[in-house]
Parts: sequence; structure tokens; C-alpha cells
Amino acid sequence: MTTINREATPEGDNIKGPNQLHNDLHDIWGNPRGLKALTIVNHTTLGLRFMVTGMVFFLIGGLLAMLVRTQLALPDQDFMSPDIYSQVTTMHGTVMMFLFAIPMLEGLAIYMIPKMIGARDLVCPRLTSLGYWCYLFGGIILSFSLVLEMAPDSGWFMYTPLSSSEYSPGLGSDFWLLGITFVEISALSAGVELVVSILRTRTQGMALHKMPLFAWYILAMALMIVVGFPPLILGSILLELERAVGMPFFEVAGGGDPILWQHLFWLFGHPEVYIIFLPAAGIVSTLIPVFAGRPIVGYGWVVFAITVTGFISFGLWVHHMFTVGIPQLAQAFFSAASMLVAVPTAIQVFVWLATLWLGKPKMKLPMLWIVGFLIIFVCGGLTGVMLALVPFNWQVHDTHFVVAHMHYVLVGGMFFPLIAGLYYWLPLFSGRMPSETLGKWGFWLTFSGFNGTFLIMHWTGLLGMPRRVYSYETGMGWDIFNLLSSMSSFIMSAGIAMVLLDFALHFRFGKPAKHNPWNADTLEWANSMPPSAYNFVSLPKIETRHPLWDDPDLPRTMAEGQHSLAVATHGRREMWGTDPLTGKVREIIHLPGNSWWPLFAAMALAVVCVSLLTRLYPLAGIAVVVAGLFLLRWSWENGAHPKAAPDAEVAPGDPPLHSRTMDGPGLWAMSITLLANGSFFLSYLFGWFYLWTVSPEWRMPETSPLSLVGLILAGVALTAGVVILEKLVRGLRQGKDAGLAVGMYSISALGFVQVAVTLWVLLSADLAVTETSHDAIIMVGLAYALLHGGLGAVLTLLQGLRVGYGYVGAHAPFEPAVVAQWWRYNLVTFWILVGALAVLPRVIGS
Amino acid sequence: MSITMQRLNLTHPLHFVIGLTLWCIWFVAVYGGHAVACSVAPPAPEQGIFTLVNAMLLVVSIAAIALLAALTVGCCRMAKRHEGRLRFNATVSAGLYLFSTLGVVFAAMPIMGIPPCL
Repeated sequence: MTTINREATPEGDNIKGPNQLHNDLHDIWGNPRGLKALTIVNHTTLGLRFMVTGMVFFLIGGLLAMLVRTQLALPDQDFMSPDIYSQVTTMHGTVMMFLFAIPMLEGLAIYMIPKMIGARDLVCPRLTSLGYWCYLFGGIILSFSLVLEMAPDSGWFMYTPLSSSEYSPGLGSDFWLLGITFVEISALSAGVELVVSILRTRTQGMALHKMPLFAWYILAMALMIVVGFPPLILGSILLELERAVGMPFFEVAGGGDPILWQHLFWLFGHPEVYIIFLPAAGIVSTLIPVFAGRPIVGYGWVVFAITVTGFISFGLWVHHMFTVGIPQLAQAFFSAASMLVAVPTAIQVFVWLATLWLGKPKMKLPMLWIVGFLIIFVCGGLTGVMLALVPFNWQVHDTHFVVAHMHYVLVGGMFFPLIAGLYYWLPLFSGRMPSETLGKWGFWLTFSGFNGTFLIMHWTGLLGMPRRVYSYETGMGWDIFNLLSSMSSFIMSAGIAMVLLDFALHFRFGKPAKHNPWNADTLEWANSMPPSAYNFVSLPKIETRHPLWDDPDLPRTMAEGQHSLAVATHGRREMWGTDPLTGKVREIIHLPGNSWWPLFAAMALAVVCVSLLTRLYPLAGIAVVVAGLFLLRWSWENGAHPKAAPDAEVAPGDPPLHSRTMDGPGLWAMSITLLANGSFFLSYLFGWFYLWTVSPEWRMPETSPLSLVGLILAGVALTAGVVILEKLVRGLRQGKDAGLAVGMYSISALGFVQVAVTLWVLLSADLAVTETSHDAIIMVGLAYALLHGGLGAVLTLLQGLRVGYGYVGAHAPFEPAVVAQWWRYNLVTFWILVGALAVLPRVIGS
Repeated sequence: MSITMQRLNLTHPLHFVIGLTLWCIWFVAVYGGHAVACSVAPPAPEQGIFTLVNAMLLVVSIAAIALLAALTVGCCRMAKRHEGRLRFNATVSAGLYLFSTLGVVFAAMPIMGIPPCL
């Protein structure tokens, strides 16, 4: 790894005027109009699209909530039938969690992170675009189920067996499983590129400990998405396979266990709460110092708290399952862990209070929402600690108390900071200020309406009102509380409507904002308002946590091109690739331009989703192949390809282009992707060992159906491929590329041998996949190995071709190093699979 | 000991995650180990907390506490020796190791009070 320790592209070196520079950069980075707007990959545009789409889904989810409160306002109502009510409650939770909260916060992060860290875009712009289209199409497919009155109705957590085909024979569960998995592609895409962007594209000098706190929060959130979402993706695949094909993963009679679903769901579901909370807390940690007029008290404490939250939140999932019959000692472990997570949250609250205490807070509109957040979230946190106690948890399980707690945490912990953040950054989005009057009315109506709705719900819960019942009899003592709750919910809706009206009107009637209107300290305010497509004309050297406080003149000098990379004659989209720890410049990252491939790939995946939903499996197969071809074509336009960077020339003194090094961002993106893949694989292993250990009707044959010899042969082919690939990559590191193409073709052939032998093992095992969960889960494991082996073989085949075209070689050695990571991962997981599925059963027996 | 600590490069931000990763591994080990032990060889309920399962879980916990505590001390020492970025890294790592240590202590306390498998 090369680190450039000198000043790259010396400041003040450019000779062009600011306007000329702007025009040149605009020619390269500017967004097209008309139909070609669908090809845009720019983070500013896509971040806005994410947020606008998220707000549309928020309105849908909010409308569903109002239907629920209307139904529950009075006893014995028949405003909705039980079936429709179940669909409405399920979709309210689903839409709010999966289609609003996560994408909205990701959209904000996608928009804001490059601007805050002094970059020009995210590191994988086409991935941003793919993520957006998957989100949009997945959201539309899922929402369309409401129109068809076929929406999922088993609760937003889809517990089996209620969601299984026996009790939910319609398409509702399928809409959920397929739609959510589709949407999760989007979440994972954003997770991967946010991690890599934050670690590798901060501007020169911005060491890890100088990074804005918001970036720390988003880094934690993104890593949590990468690790936390795959268990649910696995669970969804298994449940869909059970529903569609009859593989009995969650059916006791077939050797499955419905509790496995709960484990997989909550392995995702509990971290999800913190995935939503952390970015919102990041907004709070960004805004409070600005409005207090002083640096945050205890930057290191906040980093500590973020890290602890990110980890401990993965150790709490069983507190959602205290009533399923888990031994007391195990419950005690999770009870203790659930209490532990209050510690980092409390640290943050004290840091915020101390900052306000020591500063001179200005109660502007965003701060109003921050104060609302502090009050509501602390209440929600306290009831969370109550729920961590097993005996209390048993008492209020599945009552409205839990619903109230959840809304205090999620609305208080996410929605209030989000609105604060939107008000704060509104001038950046539009160049105009919001209305203080409308905004204050909106806040007070929302705040009072929210507490009227959900504070009261604690009492109905303590009085024993269960959640998810469509009606209740009068005389239970719940009538007046439900009526007050419903009335308050309409007040809250009026408040939110007022806020949205303020947002909409300000674009037309808002007062023009002066530059950096809140006197903020972070780099995003060095942008023009609204921002240009390339963010910054020149990229500054930043060695402070408060660049705009320490150098108020910085926006001007950046706009005048007095800093680095203020050159556009090469025609490339460029920004710094920096060292993740020190912020020293390593290379110039060149980014791809606008592209149709993400849209086409997402459309093909949408066809896969719809055809699986309608059981048109041949069409689904064809669409998978088409999507794969689109994605491979996309990957073809990289490195030294004519549409990427055929010319590696850089300005004198500048570092090389990333594609001409061995350590570009693609390597990091692959590593983070494999982290997600590893989480999926570990979840699979958990499922295998869980069923083996716990499932009451688990049936394991006396002898393993898998040919050990066959698996070892396949493993030998794979190992040989990895050994050759490593040798070739070592050679490239030394600048040698003799025999590279032949080597790549040989490795590809070994990959295909591995696939063929593994396929033979699978077919010869004669598995009864619809009769026992043992055989079904083996089938899934081998399918995983086949998919990875096949993709590895195809990727190396393409590398061989690219060597022939001159896109890869000693001059552009980057890509084989990326592919080698995939092969290493494949090697490790394949041998673990052999051990877990074929060797251990032979050693331990059934 | 000090040579080992030097080799661990305790001023590297990787230590932000190592302590909590160890906490997670410990947590999975005691939760999973308890489940497997209860499935394979559940002790008689009348044994109370004086079972092999409790003893094994306690041993694993004490080992985790010792390791994490040693790393806490190591990071504290490193923090005193450096300034700037390296001091920041070592200080935050020390805090995280300390939290992980106390996290194991706190979450392991039920092992000394609750019989397994019930």
C-alpha cells in the first residue's frame, strides 16, 4: 500500500478562473435531463430521490396508522374487517420500518456523507443507483399488495407458523418475503458503499479522530446493516422456499422449528432498532454543538458510545422472545445485555446535555425538535430498561405497553431528530429558509399529539389490552384511553401535515438563505446552496474537527479552486483516495459516469421478484440470467476500459489512479460485501446447528447422504484455483503479468470443475428436500457453494478476457486482487461446509 | 507480557472493535454452550447451581474477563505514552476494553445464581 506523504496537487496551482473550472467540472459531473435522468448516479440526486420516495412511503404508512387508530377509537367497531385490519397493521409496521425509516436515513447519509467528508461522490455511484431502483421497485411491489387486498397479514415480523402456507395460504406472506428481500438489496448496497466511502474517500488530512461525528454514526449504522440484514435475508429465503416448494425449515413435523424464524428475524430485528437510532443520534450530535455554539463535550466518549451500541445491540435479540420457553439462565444473559445497552445511550444523553449546559443554546426551529427528541427518547429508553426485566416483560408481552414503548423509541429516537435534521439542512437542499411560524405549529401539534397517543397507550397496555386485536368489548376499562389515543393521533397527523406543508412551501416562498445560515462547523456548508453535482471545485486539506469555524474563508477558497484536484481537462470524475486512519492521500479515485446498467439490472430483478410471486419459475430463471448479464456488463466498464480510465495520466506530483494500484476502493467494497456474505453464511450455520441441537423432530440419517470423496475432490479443485490465483496476484504486485490470461483461464476451468463435482455430489445424494429439514438445509448449503463457485469461475473467465483486451495487466493490476478475495472466501466457506455437513455428522452421528 | 502488548499495536483503531468482538464471542459461547449442554447432558434440577455447566460457563467467563482486563491495562499504558491521534485511539480502546470487561462481569453474574436448563 502506497501512502503519499507530500502535498498532492499543490494548492493555488491552478491557472483557470473559478467560472471556467465550474463549467469544466459541470461538463463532467452534471446531470442529464429527460429520459437520460434515469441514468444519473450522482449521490446528491439519488440521496434526494431516496428521501422523497421515503416520504411518500411515510405518508402511506401514516395513512395506515390512522386507519388503525380509527378502528380502535371506540369499542366494537366494524370500520374494518379483521382480515383487512391485520393487513393494515402488518403493512403499517412493514412500510414504516423497511420502506421509510431505513431508506430515509440512508438517503440522508447518501446525500450528506460525501459533502461532510470533503468528497465529490460516494465511492460506488452505480451501486447507489442500483440500490435506489431496487428500493423503488421493491417498495412498489410490496405496496401494490394493499391495492390487491392481498397484503401480508401475519405481523411485520412474520412469525411462523402463522405466516406459513398452512395458515397464510394467499400471496400476502410471499409479497412480504420477496418484496422485503428485494428492498434489502438496496439497504446492503448503501451499507457497503457508505462504509468504504467513509473509510477511503475522506479529504486529505481528515484523520479518523478528526472525522465529523455524523460520519462515525453512519459508519456504525452501515456496518450494522452489512452484518445485521443477512440473517433476515436467509430467513426470508428459507421461509419462501418452505411456502413455495415445501422445504420444512420451520415445520416441526418435518424436523424444522418455528423458533428458528424468530431467532433469524430478531438477529436482524433488534439491531435494526439501533440501525435506525444511530443516524438519528448522529443528527443530534451534529446539531447540538452548532446551536450551542461550542464543540461537543467528549468527542471520544461519543465514539465510544457509538461503538458499544453497535456491538451490544447484536446481543439483545432474545429479549423479544422471553415468552417462548427459553431456560431462565439464558434469559438472564439477554436481560443483562439488554440493560447494558442503556449505558452508551445514557452517555450520549449526558454528552448532549453537557454541551448545551456549557454552550449558549439558540432555540431555533431544529433545536425545538431536538428538545422533543430528548424528552421522548429518554422516556422510551426507560421503558426499554423495564422491558429488559424478564418478569415485567412477561406481564406486558404483546400488550399495548410494548407498542407504546416501541413508538417512543422509534418516533422519538428517529422521527424527531430526522425532522430536526431536515429543517437544519433545508437551506442546503434549496437555498431557502423554512417558516418559523409554520414549523413551530407543526412541532407543538406533533409533540402533544404524539404524547397524547402513545403515553396513554402505556396505560391501556398495563390494563391488559393486547396488541393486534381488531376490536375490543366495552367495559374492559379501555374505552376512554383508546378514544383519547385516537383523537391525539389525529392532532399528531395535523402537526406532521403542517411540517410537510412548510417543507413544500419553503421551496417557493422561503426567504433566501445566507451562506452557512446556522454558523455550522462542518464541510457540507462549504457547498453552494443548492449544491453542484461535483460538490467542491477543489478539495481542501482538513486537520481540524471544525473546519468552517477554524477557517471561515474556506468555502470561498475552495470555490475558487485554491485547493487540490481543481482540474477537469482529463474528463474523469475524480476525488481523493485516502488512508483510512491518517487521511493521507494514497491515490486518485476515478468514478464511473451515468449508466443505464443499474436500472436495467434492477428491472430484471423486479421481473425475478414478480415471477417468483406468480410462480412463473422458468421466467424467474431467465430473468436471473438476464440480471446477471447486466451486472457483468456493468462490471466490464471498469479500470482501463474506454468508458472508465483508458488514459492513466495524472498531473505532475499527483498520486496514481486507483485502478493502476493494488489497493483501490473496489477491494474494500469486496471486503465489506464479503462481510455481509459471511454474516449470511454464519446465519446458515446457526440454522443448521440450531435445528440439529434443538428441533424436537430432527431426523438425521445414520450415514451422511453426501459423498465425502466428491466434496474433497471439489475442494481440491477450488484450493488449486486459489493457489494459482494467489501466485498471479503476487506477480502483479511485482509488476509481472506473464501468463496472466492463461492463468486466469486455468483458474476458471478449476472453478467449473469444482461446480461440476459439487453438482454431482448434490444430485447423487438423492435428497428428500420436502420431507426433512435435514435434507432441505443441506440442499441450501450446497446451492450456496455452487453459486459461489460458479460466480468465481465466471469472474476469472472475464478477467482472462480483460487481459486479452488490455484492460488488466501489469499496467492495471487491480482487478485480479479483487477477484482473489472472492476465491479466498469461497475456499474458506466451502471447507467449513464440508466439515459441517459431511464430516461432523460422520464423527458425531445423529 | 509487555512485549506481547507492544506486538498488539494497541494504538491501532482496530482495537475499537476487538474488545467488543471478544465480548460477542464470549456471549455466543456461553449462550450456545449452555444450549448445547442442556441438549446433550442436562444436569439434575436438584443440583441447583453446583453443576458442571455452571462451572464451565464460569471458567470461560473468568478467562474472558482476565483477557479483556489485561488489554484494558495495556491500552491505558499506551495512551499515556502517546499524544494526538495515537493517544485518542488508545484511550477510546481502553474505554471499550473496560466496558467489555465489565460487560462480561455483569452478564455472567447470573451464572452464580441461576441453575441451568430450567
